[in-house]
Amino acid sequence: MSLANGHRVTLRFRDGVEQVVRVGAGQTILEAGLAQQAPLLSQCRSGSCATCSALLRSGTAAMRAGQPSVLLRHEADAGQRLLCLTEAQGECSFDLAYDSRAGSRRTQTARAFVDAVAHIAPDAVRLTLELAEGDWLDFLPGQFVQLAVPGSGEQRRYSIASTRAQLPRIELLIRLLPGGAMSDYLRQRAAPDDVITLTGPYGGFFLREGVRAPHILVAGGTGLAPLLAMLDTLRTQPGRRAPLLLSFGCASEETLFYREELALRRHWMPQLDLRVSIERGVAAADLRIGNPVAAIGAADVQDPATVAYLCGPPGLIEAGHDHLVALGVAAQHIYAEQFVPS
Amino acid sequence: MNTSPPVRRQPGSPRLNTVSAERTNDASTQSQYQPYKEAAWGFINHWYPALFSEEIPEGHVEGIQICGVQIVLRRVHGKVLALKDQCVHRGVRLSAKPLCFNDKTITCWYHGFTYDLASGALTTIVGNPDDPLIGTTGLTTYPVEEIAGMVFVFVREDQYPDADVPPLAHDLPVRFPTSSERFPHPLWPAAPSLLDPAAVGLGIHRTGESNWRIACENGFDNAHILVHQDNTIVQALNWVLPLGIRPVSDDCITLIEDEDGPKGLMQWLFSDRWEAILENKELDVKVEGLNGRFYRTSCVLPGVLMVENWPEEHIVQYEWYVPITDDTYEYWEVLVKVCPTPAAREKFSYRFERVYKPLCLHGFNDCDLYAREAMQEFYADGTGWDNEQLVATDVSAITWRKVASRYNRGIAKPGKGVEGATKTSSIRLRRVAQGRKPGYFVEKIKD
Repeated sequence: MSLANGHRVTLRFRDGVEQVVRVGAGQTILEAGLAQQAPLLSQCRSGSCATCSALLRSGTAAMRAGQPSVLLRHEADAGQRLLCLTEAQGECSFDLAYDSRAGSRRTQTARAFVDAVAHIAPDAVRLTLELAEGDWLDFLPGQFVQLAVPGSGEQRRYSIASTRAQLPRIELLIRLLPGGAMSDYLRQRAAPDDVITLTGPYGGFFLREGVRAPHILVAGGTGLAPLLAMLDTLRTQPGRRAPLLLSFGCASEETLFYREELALRRHWMPQLDLRVSIERGVAAADLRIGNPVAAIGAADVQDPATVAYLCGPPGLIEAGHDHLVALGVAAQHIYAEQFVPS
Repeated sequence: MNTSPPVRRQPGSPRLNTVSAERTNDASTQSQYQPYKEAAWGFINHWYPALFSEEIPEGHVEGIQICGVQIVLRRVHGKVLALKDQCVHRGVRLSAKPLCFNDKTITCWYHGFTYDLASGALTTIVGNPDDPLIGTTGLTTYPVEEIAGMVFVFVREDQYPDADVPPLAHDLPVRFPTSSERFPHPLWPAAPSLLDPAAVGLGIHRTGESNWRIACENGFDNAHILVHQDNTIVQALNWVLPLGIRPVSDDCITLIEDEDGPKGLMQWLFSDRWEAILENKELDVKVEGLNGRFYRTSCVLPGVLMVENWPEEHIVQYEWYVPITDDTYEYWEVLVKVCPTPAAREKFSYRFERVYKPLCLHGFNDCDLYAREAMQEFYADGTGWDNEQLVATDVSAITWRKVASRYNRGIAKPGKGVEGATKTSSIRLRRVAQGRKPGYFVEKIKD
């Protein structure tokens, strides 16, 4: 197909870089963009990971009818599109929530040794890996990797909880599910010195560096992982430290994890306001009852430039988004990653 | 047949069977100062003393290294300016063979890359003035403050914003009498400060062979005064210097956490919160001195010791343990006194040369240098922090580690491409063979 025949689609990256691509009939914007060397982020290419999410600024571009995707109703209404399922119906333009350089970070395949499998809660494990000699995998804080579950042929995606500075060590927080491929591996077979193959990094959910405004981080369950990577990156950023609020929630005190790790961060970071919630149970001095979204109030959004990062199950993302917008956080300053257990 | 190469672990990374299983100290306390344990190359984004004013006269260029960062300083029209001492081109130290064509720039003596002293910008290349690189890059600048005869630099990461550089006072000890109500000192007059009008700082600096943290903790360690019992000044002046000072109250240390000021700790020595030990019956050891010698130590980030009322009234001793590499530090000892007249200044200077320098900064504190060195090997590979067996008097060190972990502005990354980063570099070995030990100053090229 001749490019001249396609619709003109302008991709505008967060750093101001623009690229115009031609998208033909029947082609998705992601396909066309990647073919024309646009630095677009993507991973699953089937509407299930939201890595390729972009904001439609002008023109008409609809997602393929009948194709299931993780895009939430309010997100679609606000102009969000998953480029892997979106076709252009005419000239249109999109804003990408990341720098043009972010997409140039190459996806790698790397092998890693299992260093430790630690049960941090009845249904959660911290898997510590170490990249093998000669293998490397760079990432931005908040991004995820895909793991080949040893002995199963299955692939699973997990956000990295550690920072780039800790490489070659990589930490993942994994929720255990009955009968899950990775869960069974971790419960029954995983042992130090196992070798696991991982690919990545993936995802448009990563810390926008150099933002001086207050940060609000909201995490549900193992959705804490990418936010921990962001928190620890912010902890070592040069310059005056922006106010930081981390609201973390789990179902019950029994399933709550990382209390000590978070208390340490509160000690290390004078600017950190830490709130830990459990859905049900008995309130303690350092525990709230409720969900981590409700723990955020009007007093926490004094600065209109406040940015927020949310990671957890879809319900938490949706509620968190609406709540933060109602409190005055600009919708374009809210970054979210849905967490679908598998 | 499987022909793919075996998967191997990274060389030099810890193996599972070598991770230390048991910690002697309480693990949760240790975790609280984990950032401190990672600060082998020091805390970056802080103010450090670089030179005494007299070490950098008009027009002079000098090269030093702090926290694994090489820094070149030049004084022009009275003002000292500082840049990263590593040419963007190929990493050459500008200070090794200073070349300045005018009073606004410094030029790399090798390929002629020329930098603006104030902004760090690459303004021209001597033999290549139209190169497109010019104007697009440059060297990191380091803010400079000069007070009381000392030149301070703000040693920062390349990305640390100018707007966020704090005032020097945030990295200097608390001042008196401003803090006299908060930290009363009934046994001595208010200690002077480097920031006081007419303050004069006289002192020495030299390189010590240990990690800076070992050195710093020695400065306010109340159990170490035993090493000073035989010092000439103690015996000559019949000082009552206790065998040790023991904490006897929960509030023996107060944290200094001023919103707009220094961060550190103050020890309430010679108050009812600490007990001076003058006798050990078991060993039949007794302090025989007659003259009370009251003092008090405090320490603030990035590792600045203040000894009030030392070595005499109206004088304060400041010390810095400026990290050069992970196993060398520049030890600064500075006595500060307010000298409102030239005569007072002259008198202080005379006594400094005749008494304080030989008997205190050397006679007394030389013991500290070898005491720190004596601990170095135990901590050299990083495992000493896990294997030490601390006791009650070490409350000072533990409190310091915690407060430093919380309020430091950044942990210096291990030096790369700088002197001392590669311990066995051939140049380093040659210099040692020639009898010159690794140090703080650049080695200048002799024509």
